Amino acid sequence: MQTNLLSRVTSDKPIHMSEKINHPQLCAWLSAVANTRDKVSFTHLFKFFGPKIQSIARGKFPNEAQANEVVQETMSNVWRKAHLFDKDKGAATTWVYTVMRNVTFDMLRKIKGNKEDNLSDDIWPLAESMVCESESFDDHLENKQLLSVLEQLPEAQQAVVKGFYFMEMSQEQLAVHLNLPLGTIKSRLRLALSKLKVQLGEDND
Amino acid sequence: MIKHHPKFELLQSFVDGDLPASLSAAVAIHADMCAQCQKKIALLTDQIAETSFEENFLDRFIVDDEAVDTIDFDKMIEGITESSDIDISETKVKKSIEFANKTYNLPTVLNNIILGKTAHIGKLSRTRLELQEDEIHTSLLHIEPGGGVPQHTHKGFELTLLLDGSFHDEHGEYVKGDFIMLDGSHTHNPISAEGCLCYTVANDALHFTQGINKLLNPIGAFIY
Ligand SMILES: [Zn+2]
Repeated sequence: MQTNLLSRVTSDKPIHMSEKINHPQLCAWLSAVANTRDKVSFTHLFKFFGPKIQSIARGKFPNEAQANEVVQETMSNVWRKAHLFDKDKGAATTWVYTVMRNVTFDMLRKIKGNKEDNLSDDIWPLAESMVCESESFDDHLENKQLLSVLEQLPEAQQAVVKGFYFMEMSQEQLAVHLNLPLGTIKSRLRLALSKLKVQLGEDND
Repeated sequence: MIKHHPKFELLQSFVDGDLPASLSAAVAIHADMCAQCQKKIALLTDQIAETSFEENFLDRFIVDDEAVDTIDFDKMIEGITESSDIDISETKVKKSIEFANKTYNLPTVLNNIILGKTAHIGKLSRTRLELQEDEIHTSLLHIEPGGGVPQHTHKGFELTLLLDGSFHDEHGEYVKGDFIMLDGSHTHNPISAEGCLCYTVANDALHFTQGINKLLNPIGAFIY
């Protein structure tokens, strides 16, 4: 599946927080499910995610019963595993996506060869952050600091910097992805970098 | 330092859940050792999650009667919330494996994959991971110090992920964490001076290319 990764940036929206999704609300519901087993919040979550999960699953499974099983399995995992969600480590959408992708992966594997080994939670753990907290990587601190400074840049510039440094896309690739002239990419990158330098202090380069 | 990473398309398919288990596990093991790829995966996951669950404004105009007929959400919600039990996640145990009197910790990603018996040829040992993915074979390959794999090429792809130790071939030196994906256009002859343990995935037997080594084709089948 090709994702239109950075396309929303062209309309100058932030990369992480789409205006189309009320993230704080989803997060509050998920926390209420985790902390107080709140059925009303779960119902809200179900109404939000259920139909979307169903339509995504329909694209991946040959029959409808299986797509419905993905909804059933994903949402009951959300109910039973909500305590594993850590709101400091990512959005509720990311966590539910992981649950859904894992259910789908295990089911597809089972359908293809009767393999019921449920490997997905080992491959994509639900409880651990994807972001490394280990001290063993020397560029870690620097990256963390860079990320927090990055958040202060205008969104259009953020997208270019993130694409360039974290996704290692070339300026040409970025231009295609963001549907912008190469010159715009270059000037945004230059602008962003000069601001970053000021924020990070000159001794950082 | 890790120099070889999964390419962008592979990370993307990994996040989408579209790779076979063998390659998904490989990317996950690599990412556990590589902060750089870990960060990319986190970003890609955020983005695809966002896109997946975004309210598409077209949704409001599509009335899908079929879906409404076949799934009773209220009933499903009731069924799910009937029990307030939660899933207690088990703590992950570190598993290990022994080759040539040396014990290696295995990545926790492999915890629930069944290991087959170990076979030996010279300085090579191979333990199959029973993933049952048809023509795709996944193994742990151990090379004792001074051992190597004769010059060969692949008809399909061959992924080597270094779990421990190092080896070199005509293209350079590889270290722990390196993710080396080769296809039919590559020929190589890996040699490990200090010994190493690799996670390998291949979808076809190796094909030996040089003189006397052609006689070694059983090794090709062995490693595959
Ligand atoms: Zn990497």
